[in-house]
Amino acid sequence: MSDFDAIDALLAAVGPQAELPLPEVRRELREQARLSKAQVARTLGVSPSTVGAWESGRDPADEIRAKYAYLLDGLAAKFTTGTSQEAAPAEDEEEAGDEADDEVESLAAAEPCVLCGSPAGHRVAGFAQHLDPADCRPATPATAAPPDVAARTAVPPTAAPPTAAPAVTRPARGPAKRAFQELSGPGELIGRTVRAALAEHRGDVDAALAALLKRAIPDAMRLLDETRKGARYDIVAHPWIPDILRKQTSRGADQIWEARPKWTRRELPPGRHEVTALDINGAYLSALKTHLPLGQLEHTTGFAHDRRRAGVHLITPPAWEHGAVLPNPIGNRDEPGPLWVTEPTLRLLLRLSGPKHALCAPPEIHESYTSGATENLLEKFRVALKDARDTAIAEDDEVTLEYVKAMYSKFVSTMGESNYNRELYRPDWMHIIRSQAFANLWMKALKAHDEGLTVVRAMGTDELHVIGDWHRVFTEGRGVTEVKTKDTYTAGTDDTEDMPGEEA
Amino acid sequence: MPERTIDFGKFGARGIKGSDAVARKLDELADGIVTPVTVRRGLMARLHYLTRTEHSRRAAREAGLTVTDRTLKAWLEEKRRPSNANLERIDAAYRQVRRQNVAPYLLRRLNANGGTRVEIHPLNQSQVPRQLQRLVEYRTMNVRRWDRIVEAWASGDQQGLDDAWEDVIVDLGSQWGQYEYVTNIGFAA
Repeated sequence: MSDFDAIDALLAAVGPQAELPLPEVRRELREQARLSKAQVARTLGVSPSTVGAWESGRDPADEIRAKYAYLLDGLAAKFTTGTSQEAAPAEDEEEAGDEADDEVESLAAAEPCVLCGSPAGHRVAGFAQHLDPADCRPATPATAAPPDVAARTAVPPTAAPPTAAPAVTRPARGPAKRAFQELSGPGELIGRTVRAALAEHRGDVDAALAALLKRAIPDAMRLLDETRKGARYDIVAHPWIPDILRKQTSRGADQIWEARPKWTRRELPPGRHEVTALDINGAYLSALKTHLPLGQLEHTTGFAHDRRRAGVHLITPPAWEHGAVLPNPIGNRDEPGPLWVTEPTLRLLLRLSGPKHALCAPPEIHESYTSGATENLLEKFRVALKDARDTAIAEDDEVTLEYVKAMYSKFVSTMGESNYNRELYRPDWMHIIRSQAFANLWMKALKAHDEGLTVVRAMGTDELHVIGDWHRVFTEGRGVTEVKTKDTYTAGTDDTEDMPGEEA
Repeated sequence: MPERTIDFGKFGARGIKGSDAVARKLDELADGIVTPVTVRRGLMARLHYLTRTEHSRRAAREAGLTVTDRTLKAWLEEKRRPSNANLERIDAAYRQVRRQNVAPYLLRRLNANGGTRVEIHPLNQSQVPRQLQRLVEYRTMNVRRWDRIVEAWASGDQQGLDDAWEDVIVDLGSQWGQYEYVTNIGFAA
């Protein structure tokens, strides 16, 4: 008999399973109730990730399913407005739109569109919005801000007010933001330091600036630490350094060639020309985005270049035949033969030797000291500084501007073997970042040349002299993507002299 | 490999003793005269450092530069040149006196703000046969108290430094023996 009891119990368990709403609706309900996954999970005795899985398509079974269904029923009863009527059309659309882009999800409850702010029934890549542009009504400026703000998450303080404004107008608020958001980002650190310095010196700008410049290096290191919180890679500050990166004497240099451009066009085109000396803004700041080796450099020999690694390479540079119109990408090198170059120079040479440009032969790589690399190591750091710089320019805040400038320039120049910054001992990074700045300048020269300007001089990190209407090619301004004019002067031979024209 | 290495390098691993790397780094932080003692400039700089005050003369004598004042005077006036043995003695005395002079300041900086973060770069296994290579990771740790380490380093006590350093790396966990030999140890002060 007991056998049959067990079978009866089993049959009872097999019976009809509790109905569950669609996965999106489950999430919607939970978010409307402002419950976190963890709260729900605790109540049901499962892990938060399991709740997440239920909300993205998986179905719970048996007892847990019944409990979950009970919870969702209760929530649905509380939030009947909108949800119940919209649930059915949402189902239809789900089936109809199956073949459409799977990033588009239909919403049970309408959420404010990120573009216009009026209720929208769909969510694309996580943002509620109208699928048909015609539905998107012109918006108030406050609601138009969020997508722009979402792109620049580095400054949460400025981001907070515009997103808070539309939240008030929402009928049933779908919390798209995390519950605990960090209010003080790395960008805020700079502003706070400047304000504190100004307060300390009672508004004496010169004194405050002097104090700030003095502490720029430790502050940059603190900002770096701040931006690496929760990051994937650790900053390895004191790796073993190969001898080629060590200074030979205390005042001497190491063996790395940074490919600093120092080039002036030998012959100008005939006639007199108006030459504009352009200045690249924040060259070293932009150069912080480069492929930096993460760990200890490892030695390899051979010709192959691994794109996922970065470091220094011993190469024989290719011959350069365009010296009359463009600078040599390896700079003004007097000695022939192999030389140690850094990653950006090598990548520049490989790029120029590629099919797109085909300006030279590929370089020959003999030896390399490389390590696994990432371009994003200093990215947050760079963005924090860039944002602070942009804000300072917009507000005409000289103190912050100078402070930011001192931070990044001193950070780069002391990250090697410097007694002013012992926290970081990466001469390889220092060379790579500098070379990146030079390579960036070189690419700007090439761009100018390709657009029909005459490049007259490429010098140092940020100086580019051109003849012609450069406004077509570069935008003028103070941002890091823009250029400013340093000087304009006239050069060349007078028209009375016809000789150069005949020679050419 | 839970504990001390018995025969380091038997299978081709390369590295230096952790305590040696620490001493090297501390020397680097202590800075000082880099010109070798065999060059006139380096010799004179060391002699001046060792004879500048009565205190430094006494320290030099204690550090093993047991020559008469007359000889020192002759060396300083370049009437005589120290023998090679004495050059070595001058260099050793200079190193020890320099370490002793710097030690208190270095110790204060290393102990400040809850200690100093130390990076431990594992030994080099590139010459070890493939099947014998082990995964030894790069590790970092915070060292709070540097007193014993700096004291042993300042007094030139290699064994003492080794013991002090071993007490530190035991905190790395059961695999600390893998970090007895390293390629580099990095920290800032």
